[in-house]
Amino acid sequence: MSLILPKQFEELNAFTEKWAKGTENDRQKARITSTSEELKAFYDAIMPRMKEILEFLDTYEYGKLPEEHQPLYWLAMSLAEVAPHVELYDCDPGVPFAFEEARFVAEHGSQANV
Amino acid sequence: MTEAVALRWANKYPELGGDPIPVKPYVSNSVYDEEVEKIFKKTWLKVGRVEEIPKKGDYKVKRLSFAKTSVILIRGKDDVIRGFHNTCSHRGNKVVVETGGDETFGNSKAAVVTCRFHGWVYDAKGDLVDVPEEEKFHPCFAKEDNGLTKIRTEVWEGFIFVNLDTTGTQTVEEYLGDMGNHLSGFPYGQMEDVFAYNTELNCNWKVAHDAFAEAYHVATIHAGSFPNVFGSGLQDLQLLGDHRTAAVCLTNNAKPKPAAALATSMTGASLINFKEKTMLPDSVNPENRKDFAFELTVIFPNILVHISEGLWFTHQFWPMGPDKTRWEGKYYLPKVNTYSERWAQQFAVTLQRNAWLEDTATMEDTQEALESGSKEVMHLQDEEIMLRHGFQVVEKYLKQGAEK
Repeated sequence: MSLILPKQFEELNAFTEKWAKGTENDRQKARITSTSEELKAFYDAIMPRMKEILEFLDTYEYGKLPEEHQPLYWLAMSLAEVAPHVELYDCDPGVPFAFEEARFVAEHGSQANV
Repeated sequence: MTEAVALRWANKYPELGGDPIPVKPYVSNSVYDEEVEKIFKKTWLKVGRVEEIPKKGDYKVKRLSFAKTSVILIRGKDDVIRGFHNTCSHRGNKVVVETGGDETFGNSKAAVVTCRFHGWVYDAKGDLVDVPEEEKFHPCFAKEDNGLTKIRTEVWEGFIFVNLDTTGTQTVEEYLGDMGNHLSGFPYGQMEDVFAYNTELNCNWKVAHDAFAEAYHVATIHAGSFPNVFGSGLQDLQLLGDHRTAAVCLTNNAKPKPAAALATSMTGASLINFKEKTMLPDSVNPENRKDFAFELTVIFPNILVHISEGLWFTHQFWPMGPDKTRWEGKYYLPKVNTYSERWAQQFAVTLQRNAWLEDTATMEDTQEALESGSKEVMHLQDEEIMLRHGFQVVEKYLKQGAEK
């Protein structure tokens, strides 16, 4: 699948390889294996564009997003995974003072968001 | 603060007393064995929701490892959900292969299950309907005497309950009693988006249960995911038979950060933001408090049901051994209609998952520390009264055996 974003979001193309992941499990893994700097760089780049991204996605009926735009959706979903770490956990890639994430099973975790 | 205010629940329920509770039930193998026999094999246990097996012929197999069995829950052509031990009447193979581990789902258009070993077929009423080479069995064998072994199964408000006590006669509605009235009427089935997590914890089931049955820990344990969220203590606490319930009231003084503010503008999927009361039963948050976050209800013995405006969630604790517990956390939200709502929903779910990671972080340490034998009792404060009640209900069952 092409990981090229729509023209108006092209400055985020640099983040798709790492963050355009379709499942909660893959996004969680990307976050845990990132450095604090990577989390911050991704957050800082995408957060100011979030409103526009969601408006763009909402031009499609829910569940009918063309495959070519899935990477943009998945980037936004990765922000939902990453934002608490930047906004609340001082850019710690893990959840501080938490149970081992690898032992915590998300029953929906391998379903791709479409 | 006067003493009367400080100990408001002890004043309401003086019969519970104020003594510390013993550590022994959390670390004793013999107490665990007794709890399995006298509580878990005698009481109604929630094992599913009707939405999990929506069509005729859908089935779910739920492992009940404390009882060394699994229950097949199957929806018949008559739309009735029945439960059976997953044990073939022939030579005891599991009828449904449990490929899903603790929970396996399947569907049979004919509403039957077939044992893979020799092909015995059972219908959704548990009757044995086909035996290959039936004519070669001896005259003492009769199909009609060899159906699946039934497990008492009932549905209340869409929750599927089973009871392993073959001699009991109490219905699940009678078992829930006044707590059933308190929680009925909430639109459980309308929250169709389910986010479920589970793990196996190396701790006693009560260590896990207790950690979720008080709000005293919010300011410390959740300082990360829910900072500047202040509890005003439990409200409207009621001890109803073996069950217990209270409102958890939280004031969110955190100034929302950008992503949180964006999500909150699109969804009510977060627990800690005030919402007007539209769907809660009358008896829940009766005074319409503005700081009401959710109702925390413990249905004895092993499930916490929390209802809130526009969402609900459960924690359940399955004993697997004296120091081993399967925890299941499920968060139920209304179906979304747009991509932006789905994003905001995911943001709320992620924070909730992280909060549950914070909750479960203490449990194995607690178990290890209790097993050191260095402490014989634990002191509970007034806001931990639900643990005190829980301890006393367990004691009652162990002393008297289960009530029928």
